[in-house]
Formats: sequence, C-alpha cells, structure tokens
Amino acid sequence: MLSKVLSFGLIGIEGFLVQIETDMIGGIPNIDIVGLGDTAVKESKERVKSAIRNSGLEYPVKHYTINLAPADIKKEGPIYDLGIAVGILAASGQIKQKNYKDYIYIGELSLDGSIKKVRGLLPMLISARSMGYKKVILPKENEEEARFIDGMDMWAISSLKEVLDFLNGETETPIQKVEIKSFDEVVKSSANKLDFENVKGQAQAKRALEIAAAGGHNVLMIGPPGSGKSMLAKCFSGILPDLTFEEALEVTKIHSVAGELDLKEGIITQRPFRTPHHTATTISLAGGGIHSKPGEISMAHNGVLFLDEFPEYSKQMIETLRQPLEDGQITVARANQTVTYPSNFILVASMNPCPCGYYGSHDRECKCSPIQIHKYLSRVSGPIMDRIDIQVEVDNITYKELNSTEKEESSASIKQRVDKARKIQLERFKNMKTFSNAKMTVPQMKKFCHLSPECLTLMEQAFNNLKLSARAHDRILKVARTIADLEGEAEILPAHIAEAISYRGLDRKYWSI
Amino acid sequence: MISIKDKFLIFMSMYEIPNKKQEILLEQLDNFSIDNVLCNPITYLTLSAEEIKRLKDGYDAFQFENMIENMFKSDIKIVTVFSDEYPSSLINLPDRPLILYTKGDLTLLNKHCFAVVGTRMPSSYGKIVTEKFAKKLAESGLVIVSGLCYGVDQIAHKATLDAGGKTVAIIASGLSRIYPSVNLNLANEIVEKGGLLMSEYPPSFEAKKYTFPRRNRIVAGVCDGILITEAGMKSGTLHTKEFALEYGKDIFAVPGNINSSKSELTNHLIKTGQAECTTSADEIVEFYGLKKSRESSQLVTLNFEEQQIVDLLKEEQQSFDFLAEKTKIPINILNSCLTTLEIRGLIRKLPAQMYCLA
Repeated sequence: MLSKVLSFGLIGIEGFLVQIETDMIGGIPNIDIVGLGDTAVKESKERVKSAIRNSGLEYPVKHYTINLAPADIKKEGPIYDLGIAVGILAASGQIKQKNYKDYIYIGELSLDGSIKKVRGLLPMLISARSMGYKKVILPKENEEEARFIDGMDMWAISSLKEVLDFLNGETETPIQKVEIKSFDEVVKSSANKLDFENVKGQAQAKRALEIAAAGGHNVLMIGPPGSGKSMLAKCFSGILPDLTFEEALEVTKIHSVAGELDLKEGIITQRPFRTPHHTATTISLAGGGIHSKPGEISMAHNGVLFLDEFPEYSKQMIETLRQPLEDGQITVARANQTVTYPSNFILVASMNPCPCGYYGSHDRECKCSPIQIHKYLSRVSGPIMDRIDIQVEVDNITYKELNSTEKEESSASIKQRVDKARKIQLERFKNMKTFSNAKMTVPQMKKFCHLSPECLTLMEQAFNNLKLSARAHDRILKVARTIADLEGEAEILPAHIAEAISYRGLDRKYWSI
Repeated sequence: MISIKDKFLIFMSMYEIPNKKQEILLEQLDNFSIDNVLCNPITYLTLSAEEIKRLKDGYDAFQFENMIENMFKSDIKIVTVFSDEYPSSLINLPDRPLILYTKGDLTLLNKHCFAVVGTRMPSSYGKIVTEKFAKKLAESGLVIVSGLCYGVDQIAHKATLDAGGKTVAIIASGLSRIYPSVNLNLANEIVEKGGLLMSEYPPSFEAKKYTFPRRNRIVAGVCDGILITEAGMKSGTLHTKEFALEYGKDIFAVPGNINSSKSELTNHLIKTGQAECTTSADEIVEFYGLKKSRESSQLVTLNFEEQQIVDLLKEEQQSFDFLAEKTKIPINILNSCLTTLEIRGLIRKLPAQMYCLA
C-alpha cells in the first residue's frame, strides 16, 4: 500500500514542504529511504522501527520504500522521523481515518516512541503558514515556540502512540490545540540585566553609547585594559529600543535554526548580545558549515555583536563583517547550497590603544615601540573603520570615582531618550528602506543632514585644525543628525557637529605616531 | 657629468669603507678609476682583507653604472667633498662625510639651520613641546633639521611643514629605502614643500645600528645649534649632543618632569651646564638675533562654560570625567565645548581623554 504524509525541512532560515511517500511491498524486509537524506535521515529507519514496536503498535515485516520529495533538495536532521513513522502506520492500514493527510508532522522519535524536540521549528511553521497549511503536529517540547504563530491549528504531542490515537480519534482525553499567546504578555522587563546605574564615571563613553543606540551606529571603544569596556558593552543592549514582534520572530527564527532557543520561553524578547571570542573560526562567525547553521553575526541580528580586543581577530574574520555591515545580511555559499541569513546588528568593538594597552594612559607608561603601535592599529583595515561611526576613548577611572556615592543615570531613563530619537527617525524614513540614521544613503544624507552656514564653517575649521581624515566627514554628519534627534532638534546645530567630531578619536592627528 | 673621483667615492660608500680609510686613499692614490683602485697596492695596504673581499666580490661594472643612472632618474643628487655645492658647515669637520646623496633644495644648508631632536617615544608633554618649539622656530625663518625617525624627529618635521617652514631630514638609510617606512609620505612631502633629504649612504642602503649615531654627527654638523625637547638617558640623542659639543654648537634643552624617565637627559644636561635651559622658542629666536614670529594676539571671547573649562585647565591637564564633575556641564554640551575650544586652538586633546591648554 502507498501512503503520503507531509513534513517540513529547512534551507537557511526558510522552511520547505517535504512529502513523505511510503510504499509497503513484499520482498526482503527492509526500509529504504531515498531523497537525498543525510546520515541522520538514513538512520531514521532504526529509530522508527523501534519506536513503532515499543509503542505497542504493529510493525509489519515488509519491504518499505520511503521517498522524501522533492528528491533533489538535501534533507538534514531527524525531523522526518515522525512523518516516516506515520507514513508506515498509514501504509500498513493502522490509521483508520483518511484525514491524516491534512497534517504536517514534525518531530524526532526516541526508541521508546516518545517525540523529541527539533531545531528550527519556528521558521518551518512560519513558512507552512504562508504556504496555506493549517494543521501541524509538533513535539510537546517545542510547544512554547509555536505559541506565537496564529492562524494555524497546532497540536503538541509527546508520543507516537498518542499521535496515532489522536488521528484515529481514540484519545481518552482530547488533545488541546496549542494555545496562542500574545507577544506583549511575555515581554519581560530588563531588570535582571546589567544597568548603566552600576557603571561609575565614564560619562563620555556612556553618552557615546546612548548616541549609538539612538542612531544604530557602530561603536569602537578604545582604552587600556580594565577600563570597563566590556562592562559598558554589556549594558549597551539594555538601552536599545524593545524588540517589536516582527523583529522578535526574526530573531527567534534564527535562534531556532541554530538550536539555541530556550524552549521554556519559546520566543526571544530581548535583543541578542553576542560575544564571539577572537579565536572563533570565520565559519562560526559568518555561518554555514556542513549543517549550514547561522553564525554569530546572524545570531546577533537585531541586537548587538560585541567584539572584544578587536585587532586580535584574524584579518579574514574582520573582513567578513563587511557585507553584513553594509547590507544587513550575509550570503554563505557552500558546496550543497547557498543560503542568506539576516544579520542586521550594531557592532560594538573594543580595543587597546597599543599592544601593551597603556599608550597615553596617565598612570602607567606604555612600553610599545612606535612600529608596534602602528602595526597593531593597522590590523583593523580602513574599510571596516569606515563603517564604524563612533570611536570613543575609555580611560581607567580613579579610585575616587569608583567610590563616589553620586547616583549614576539608570539604563531605563537613557532608554527613554533613545526611544524618542528612534521615533523621530521612523517618522523621517517612512516608506523608505532605511530605519536608522546610521544606515542613511548618500541622497538621504543630502536631504536630511542640511547644514547651516555656521555648521559649514565649523566643519571646515575642524577639518583644517584637527586634521580629520576625509572619511570622517559622512560619519560626523550621521552622528550629528542623531545627536540632533536626541535633542529633538529639526536642524543640525553647530553644537551637534562639535560633539560628533569628539567621537572621531582615531582620526585625530595625535594618534598618528 | 660625474667625475672619476665622485665615482670612486660612490664605490667606496657602497661597500661601507670607513671614512678615515677613504681619506687616506684619497691622499695616496693618483688614479681613481675603479679598476686601478682594485689592483693598486696602496689599496691593499690601507684596507683590511675583509674589506677588499667585499669590494672585489661585490663589484660589477655594469650594475654600478646602472645604479648611478638610476640615481639620476630618481632625482638623487650626489654631492662630494670635491664639489662646490658641498655644505660649508661640514667641510671642516674631523669626520666629515665624503659623499652626500641628496634630494631637494641644497641651498637650505647655507641658511640658519637648527636641529630639533629627542626621543623616539615622546610623552604627550614631549610631543606638545616639540610641536610648539618647531612651529615657532620655523616661523621665525630657521630651517629645522632632524633625523626623520619616529617621535620627536617626526613631529619636528611635521610641525615645520604645517607652519610653512623648510625642513631638512638627515636619514640613517639610503634615500630610496627610507627608514622607518611609515615616514615615506612625510619624506615625499618634505621634498615637495621645498625641503631637503640627505644621507651619506647610497640609495638602496639599509639602515643599520651604527648608521644612526653616524647620522647624528651630520645633524650636529650642519646646524648652528640643537634643541633637545625630550630625551631619556639611553636615547640616541646623546650622540647628537656629544657631536654638537665637539663641534662647538649651541645646545638647548627643554626641562621636563623630574620623575619622568623620558626627561632624564634634558634635565641632566641643564643641571651640568652642558645645555642652555630654554622654556620658550622666543629665547632661541632672540639668541640668533632673528625676528620673532608675529604673535596672533586675537582677543578670544569665551562663553561661561568655556571659561570654566579653560580655568580648570590652567593648573594642569585634566581628564574628561574630572571636567564633567567639576563644572557640572551636561556631557553633550561639555563634549561640544571641548571640541570647539580645540578647533579654535585654545586647548588640546591628549590620548586617553585628557585635555590641556595649547
């Protein structure tokens, strides 16, 4: 007998329909699985056989040919186990109702017949919904993840036996559909996060981060070891605007595919903060590999990518950031397939001013030779520096500052200002593909960064007297626009330009040795 | 056309024959064609076996002619002790360079030359002092001489160029192999702006340990006086000072922090009376009877916040956080005030968020 059931697979972060065709024929007892499955798919037959038997169901000893259509797309992972098992049960006539064909089956089987969690459920559900499928059976463990997809009937079931009973309408207690939750219910306060309240001093760095958050600018922090660069970076995601539902879904999709989703929460409500170490490989950063998983830069989508000790990263890794910083996505081409992952993040990088870390510091002498400093700084290439709008210096704070009782501003109150500035930007870029000042294109800059004559003179003086490099010009304009937005000004004022110039630390001539 | 004697000197400098031996050969030989030199018994008597081996093994007539041709192509001019253009300030030195490879305006050496030298790794104090002095001295018409190395040398050259002055760089390597290579652009700029590059080593000669102190004797030789802005006890500046003393040049030193190891030499020179203590470029300008550069004494008007900042900086350099705490100016306004003050040239930003008066 022949049976056909539906399941889903993944390419990148998009799902595609897989039809599992099971043909039961006489002959030497065996299961043949065709349709470009990887090892996990091939091994599925053993799991399915045991799962059926251990669930107290009948496994007719026959020859089964199982085809995963479309047969030309590579199938990865154990997500088809449940579909194959249902296919065999249907082919052997154990499912009495004909409606089993309407469902999409997603789940890995354990030998005892229980259904285990899968990775990448959310993107599959989203794709299934957009293709018009209405009914899904999914693992109980993944239930939370499914709660935010409305417009579909989903059942979270924990064992193969229950699936069969459910399909036959023989369950003792009826299995409830997955209850849909609204996103607002689960958005939690960021109270448990690091708060700027706890960072003493560093007024300039905090201000710079506020501007970065408000305009979506990439930031580079330069300072000696122990000056609190990492701490500031960790607090940074706390002042970013809250994730919208669409953004949250995108983030969750990526985390789901990577298998890094917290299954108790189901959806990610906080902006991600990723800190890959500088010994990471380029693939782990960019994504791809044999099982094409999203890399760190995609995991940081809609959040923050923090690269500590920036020049320590290999040249190749730093250059990998170029496309994502420009386009907000990364295309990874591998032998099997080419996938595109979104990766729209704010880059927060930190570095020491020189190899020993104390160049210019007033409490310790720098021991580096000029050539060492030059080499260290030139490890970060110009094109990457071009994409970093704000460069701010962070210095060690004094003991007095450390113990001052003065209250520092909390992240929440900084965030209010950031939210306000973002609102202005959303209004400004209505019906455009841009969402923040940092991503302004040249024509947009011409339109929105109009400079008064006073501003122009100031700019000119700054370039002549401070020896700014030409590439600083556009960065200054964008940052000045954000500063003006933070202050609620429609026009850029000279004070805004002046402040923006102060965030171009590396362009300054004293740095050149 | 290049004379036989010149060729002989180029040949000698290529194979690192010591100056003194060259002088002896110049005196004793009567035919300076290279073939003659290579087989003349006088050569064998004067030079060591190793040096002769170097000459014989290294010499290739074709390559040698090629090199000279290339030199002309790349605008390198050769000046030897026999030419009229040889700087008069060097001719009577005991250990004068016999050959100079130059690029740029040689007549600068006939003007008032003044060397600004110091450590390769100046502190921010050293940087500011060097820049200030070099700028003022250049404005008063002195030709600033230095060694195109890192640190003080580099700042002295740059400040001079910025002030529209002329500067002479005396290099410890060959002219087409500028060391350190980061200064290649600076070297080009010096020539473009009417300055001079000079070296006693052939164009493709790589800098060696001993060439730096040797270079310093030329620095000390060509100028009327030297200014040491910041130098520690182990600095190569020590050589320059020694040569300057030997040649009877004026030595000026800027006093520094007694705790700083980078000011040890300058303070020591002042203490022992080897150098004139100087705290203003005007003193040097007056010393040479030159006209002071016109002080641009524009009246500056400061607003309340700016005045507060300037008042605090009058005592000593301060950090950003300190200024923020003392003045209670909101961070955004403080940031823009500091930048405006800096653009107007009233204050200066140092590394690590420090500010000081310019």
